[in-house]
This record gives sequence, C-alpha cells and structure tokens, in this order.
Amino acid sequence: MSLALFVLKRLGRGVLTIWFAVTVTFLLLRLLPGDPALAIASPNMTAGTRAAILAEYGLDQSLPVQYVKYLGQLVQGNLGVSFSQGISVSDALLERLPWTLLLVASSLVVTVLVGIPLGVLAAAKSGGLADRFVQLVAVTGQSLFVPSVGILLLYVFGLRLGLFPIGGAYGEGVYGGQWYLSVISHAVLPCLSLVLVQLGQYVLTMRSTLIDALGEDYVTLARANGVPGRRVLWKHALRNALLPTTTLVGLQVCLYLVGGVILIETVYAYPGIGRGIYEAVVRLDFPVLQGAFLLLAAVVVVVNMITDIIYGVLDPRVKAAA
Amino acid sequence: MFRPRTALAGAAAVAVLFTAACAPSGPPAGESAVSDATLTIATTTDVVNYNPLIGNSRSDYWITNLMYPHLLSIQPDGSKGPELAEKWGYVNDTTGFYEIKPGLTWSDGQPLTAKDVAYTLNAVKKDKPAGTLYGQLANFDSATAVSDTRVEVKLSHPDASLIPEVGFWGNVVPQHVFEPAGSVAKFANDGSKGGWVSAGPYVLTSVQRGQSYTMKRVDNYPLVPGGKGKAAEVVYRVYPDVNTEILALKNGDVDVIANSLPPAQVKQLQSTPDIKVAEVPGLGYSHMTYNMTKPDLAKKDVRLALAHAVDYDAIRRVVLQGQAVSTGSSQLMPVLSAYYDKSVTEYEYNPDLSRQLLTQAGYKPDGNGNFPLSFRLIYSLQDPVTTQWATIVKDGAAKAGVTIQLQGIERNTYLAMTDKGDFDIYAGNFAIMDDPATNMSLAYLPGGAINYSYVDDPALNALIDKARVTFQQPDQIPIMRDAAKLVRDNVYDNIMYTQNLYVAYRSAWSGFAVKPSELLSIVNPVSVASATKAG
Repeated sequence: MSLALFVLKRLGRGVLTIWFAVTVTFLLLRLLPGDPALAIASPNMTAGTRAAILAEYGLDQSLPVQYVKYLGQLVQGNLGVSFSQGISVSDALLERLPWTLLLVASSLVVTVLVGIPLGVLAAAKSGGLADRFVQLVAVTGQSLFVPSVGILLLYVFGLRLGLFPIGGAYGEGVYGGQWYLSVISHAVLPCLSLVLVQLGQYVLTMRSTLIDALGEDYVTLARANGVPGRRVLWKHALRNALLPTTTLVGLQVCLYLVGGVILIETVYAYPGIGRGIYEAVVRLDFPVLQGAFLLLAAVVVVVNMITDIIYGVLDPRVKAAA
Repeated sequence: MFRPRTALAGAAAVAVLFTAACAPSGPPAGESAVSDATLTIATTTDVVNYNPLIGNSRSDYWITNLMYPHLLSIQPDGSKGPELAEKWGYVNDTTGFYEIKPGLTWSDGQPLTAKDVAYTLNAVKKDKPAGTLYGQLANFDSATAVSDTRVEVKLSHPDASLIPEVGFWGNVVPQHVFEPAGSVAKFANDGSKGGWVSAGPYVLTSVQRGQSYTMKRVDNYPLVPGGKGKAAEVVYRVYPDVNTEILALKNGDVDVIANSLPPAQVKQLQSTPDIKVAEVPGLGYSHMTYNMTKPDLAKKDVRLALAHAVDYDAIRRVVLQGQAVSTGSSQLMPVLSAYYDKSVTEYEYNPDLSRQLLTQAGYKPDGNGNFPLSFRLIYSLQDPVTTQWATIVKDGAAKAGVTIQLQGIERNTYLAMTDKGDFDIYAGNFAIMDDPATNMSLAYLPGGAINYSYVDDPALNALIDKARVTFQQPDQIPIMRDAAKLVRDNVYDNIMYTQNLYVAYRSAWSGFAVKPSELLSIVNPVSVASATKAG
C-alpha cells in the first residue's frame, strides 16, 4: 500500500472519529443536569428572562433541530459563539491554545531528554545502585499530586528564593525581548511541575522495554560479533525500545494538550486552554465545550497518524506490514 | 532516520513561534510613563461580560463598577448612601426621583446627565438583559429626564423599595455608546469599537484574557477629594487558585486580594509582616429552608425540631473560626442596624427539645431512639463552608433521632435542583440582603424567585405587601420586624449566621474605604480611587 493511500485511509477514519466525538459530545452536554440559563444569568431571573435566554442561544429548540444546525455550522467552519463571553468559540480557544502548546511542548521536550537517558541508565545498570535510585525517583514523581507540587515550587522558588514569578504567563508592562524573557521565566515552574509528574512514566517505560530488548537474540548476536557494548545499547537495543515511548509521547500530547493541564494552569494562573475548559464547564458554556472536544478529537486523530508514521520509520517491520 | 530530539525541539520552536502571536506591542511612542503607583488587585476569575447590565460575576462587577457608576451606594450601617445621585425619593406613591450631581462627564468628554440615567432604566425595562437590575424593575413603568440633573421615575404600582434598590443595583451606562449598539441585552461592550468610556475613577485600556485587566486613571472623578484617583493605574490580575493569590500578595506581586479570604487563612495573614487584613461586614446570610411541600416538613413541630437540632455555636466557632455572628435566626441582621431586633433570639441547640417536639407531633421513636424521619439535604460542593457545616447539621439531627442524608452536588446541578424544588432541606447562602422588604418578597411570597420553602402564609404575605408600600422607614421597621418574627417562630426559614468577610492587602497601601459585602468591600470605586501607596 502506498503512503498516500495509507494517509487517505487514515484521514477517512479520522473524519469518522471526529464526527462520532462531535455527536457524543453534543448529546452528553445536553444530558448534563443543570440549566445554562441559570449559569448565564442571576438565579433570581424571571421565567420570561429565562425563556429569552434559551431562545437567544437556540436551546428552546428540539435536540434534532439543534444538532442539524450545529453540524451545518461546523461544515462551514463556524464553531458558534460562547454563551458566557459572547465571542466566537474559535477566538476563545485560539487565544488560549498557544500557552498550553508552549507548556506541553517544552515539558515534553525536557521530559523526553531527561527521561530516556535516565531509563537507559537504569536499564544498563539494572539491579545496581543507580537503577534503584532512578526507580525511587521515578516512582516518587509518579505519586506526586500536581497542585501540591505547584504550590510547593511557588513557595520555595517564587516566594522564598524569589527566582521565578508567582503566576501568570508574563509580566505586566514588558515588551520586545524583555517580554520573551518574561514568558520563559513564567513558564519554568509550571513546566518543571509537569516534568516532575511525567518523568517517572518515561523512565520506567524506557527501563523495562530496554531491559526486554537487551535480552533479545539480535542483541546477543551483536555482542557475539564484537560490537561495542555502548553501540549495542544506544544503536541496536534503544531503537526498538523507543516504540512504547513513542506511543507514550502521543498519548501525553493528547492527554495534556486539551484539558490535561487544568490543575497546572489553575495553580500557576496560566491562561491556557485547560483553564478555559474548566471555566466553560462551570458556566455550562456548551459551544466552548463542543469546540474544545472537537479540538481534542482532531488532536487525537492527527497525533495518532503521526505516531503511526513514526512507528513505520522506527520499525521497518511495521512499514512492511502496512 | 527519525530523530526524536530534533522533532521535539522543532515542536517546541513551533510552540514558541505560535506564542509569539500573543506578544503585546509596546506603548505608542511619546506616551509618557505614569508618575504614580499602580494598584494591583488579585481576583480569581476572568471578566465574562463587560456590559454591566448583563454581567453578574464578581470580576465583572468589580471592573465595570470602576467605569459605570451606580446612583446609590451602601453605608457601613447598611443604609443607602449617595454615589451619582445626591438626592432620591418619592414625589408620590407612583412617582420617584433621583437628583444627580451636576457637571459630570464621561471619559470621552461627553456630559453625563439625567438623560443617561433615564436611557439606562428604560432600555433595561425594554430589552430585559439577564443582569440583576432587570429583576428590580417589576413595578417600573418609565423614566424621564426632566432636567440635566433630575430623573423622574413612573411606577406601575406603589413600591417603596424600587427607588433605593434600582439606585443601588443599577449601573448608569453612556447613552451615546450603548444606544447605537442596539439592544442592551445583547451589547457585549467588549471595547472592540474604540475602547471603553468611563464615568468612574478608571477606564479599561487593555485586556489579556486569563491574565490581567489594565485600567488607567480618569482625570475627572469628583466623588473623591482631589477629583481623581490616587493610583495612576489599576491592574486586576487573575489567580484562579486562592493559595497562589496569597503567595502573590506575600511576594508583593499584587497589592490587594479582592475576594474574601477563606476563614482558615485569616489568622495566618493577620500575623504576616507587610500584610494587613480588613474586616468587611457581610450583607448576606447562610440559611436552611425546609421544603414545606413535603408532608413531614409541612408540620411546624418537625421544622422546629430540626431547627433546635443544629449546634449553631459550633458551626460559627469551628467551621467559621469565630468569623460569623448570630442574627437571632432572623433575616434582619445586626449590620442592618435600623431593622435589627435584639429581642428575637436564636433557636436554642437542644436535641432533647427536638425529641419532645417530634413526640408531640405524633412521631414515635424505634428501639434505637430514631424517629421514622429521613430528609435529603442539598448543598453546593463549590461552597466549602456549607460543605463543612452540613456534617454538623447531620450529626445534630442524629442526636434528635432524625436521619439526614447529605447530598453535596456540583453547583449547576444544585441550582437546577433548587429551582425545581428537588430537595427536602436546602442549605445555601443569600449573598446580599440590602433591603428587607425586597428580600422577604423574593423569599416568602408565593411565587417568589427564592421561595425555597414554598411558604404561603396569608399573615406574612399581608405584612410584606404592607411593607412594600410603606414609604417611611420608621413606619416600615415595625412591619418588617413582625414579619421576621413570624418567619422565625414558624421556621419558614432557618437563618444560621451572617459571615464577616476579611480581605487582605499590602501594608504599604492605605486609604481604603470599606463598605459592606464582598461586592463592595475595599474594591468599591471610592475605595480604589482613595488608595495611596506610602513612599
């Protein structure tokens, strides 16, 4: 099968997945207990005001009518207007997406760059002191509660040591190069928090898959052929052991990009998309939630496609099977 | 070959470039730097709506309040006081008036006159925006500017509360900005068409959603000495987590926390260097209402038994750490000093008395001393204080032999269940009770928006109706006291306490003017405009 056909098939399957996600989201939101009119206006409002609000947002119409109208909007690239903010859903999501993207991308880069070598070290020294130490750190990291880590880091590095700012994505009244420095300094602690809680998973996955790989026949053969140990480890065994880690990266992107960093963004007052989703839930802002889940579905589809392609590059057997 | 490091570094670079789209541009060349200090205020939520006739969140209120003045404000003793209006009252039973200060202007130079006031009230009546003001206009007919400073209000029915309530709850908006935009119920007022116009001490100039709202001083605000605010800029910064908010205050990143502090944080901040804590009288109360459509709760003795099974003192002492006061189980709280009635006392905590009352009502306990009574109490899980005291209520009822099932729920579900009467006992808060007659009509008249007990007592209805058409406060006070006593004696509502609020600020700042309620507290327009920084 050609790569183009493979991508086309995947695209078709992706569109179906997105339609399914959109439909389920649409129905689930309307099954939620609660009245959007109550979330939008004062609970003391009159029945007339409530009826006017529901009519204004088309919530007084039957579900099939609402659904058809919603799909019609989507086809035209219109995600609707936020109930609570009165701005387009695209604007509401896109103004927050870059901040989450920055946070997720930078923490993933650091986690992978630190996690893979630590996992390799632990696997290479399996059973030794370094292995035990790395495992201890990894397991501890996995059991950390994100908000507690955030407050602790803010207290130590923000309040006590004064090394980093407390909350926000950048400082007020800074422009040009200073603004970029401000963005970096504000991102350090939330990024570090994400790294601390994610790192363990990468280290332990890398370690276990690499230990398995090191026991494979082709590794034994390479060693028998006199290939140096370091080359066997990094060139032969690591390449195969990277497959589960690649899956993990894909999963983490899907998990964190839309919604997964709610707690981090809340503690650090970071203006990302996770916080936007949380606020939309509180306000029963259906259009924003529908837009966010559509984005999530699209991200999952795209990331899965990329992961499949990377799999093919890493493992020729996958490519041959395709 | 795939190189993960290269790919990931590329992803990070894309993210940085993408983020660069958010980079703000510098101030225009030649714009002078401000000479005075910036007052930075922390809040927990973003602004949802910039139209003060629609918005109803705390941040909406605080920020739009600095631009769109109210006709009246509230005094420390709970009475109404002047803000934009110098005089107000009634010409006769169906005609009221406001006299506003002369010589006021909007920040774009347009005069602020009685026409703006009349336009605001008429537009709200016509367009029915979802905010609080529209709810106050039930008996409003029309408003007319009879001069540049006087507005006369025609009422459809006599209503002694309308003029003070509309004056307190309604912001005045600029007619020349809002009228061309069409319906005031739909106008976002998001500054997209040339920014904002203000008649308050500050005007919004920059919004970084999710992060901050910057407001610059307006040079004509006659409500404070000197005619303008002391701080050159006010910046509201958003910290969704209260712990981060407090760290930012300690660190000096913010100067004031606008939200009231959680009870557990008050004592710690009171002893923190460079931080001051101000006490703000609460204008609301916490209460439980018993759904009288349920056969057992329709009996007065059962409601009274439940009221006597609550350890109110423990709730105030333990959960609220002494930061709440008893109202004597009455809506007429001590802060409303003119109405407060010392002779009305709180329900005594006495589970034995509860048992007697239930026996008297014909209920028989089983071998374990439990009566065949079980009630479902709902509360919002977003309200940490109520969540804590609900357990004390349950334990107290158990001592009286009554089972209470606690049902803590997510806020939107809680609101919907409350609205449908899907509860036996409702636990919650009434945020601001500034006018007893209005509050009682909402809470105890049949069909009232918050009549959660579904009470319909002709004697109480008559008292409330009479109070609403009694225009002189000295005449209204005894009527309200009789009504409150009727509510208390029949347990139509169980008012548990009024919570005093505490707000924190950096001690380098002074001059704040505290007003009751979290809405006004130390972030009311006059207070913010009066705040000065030492040095």
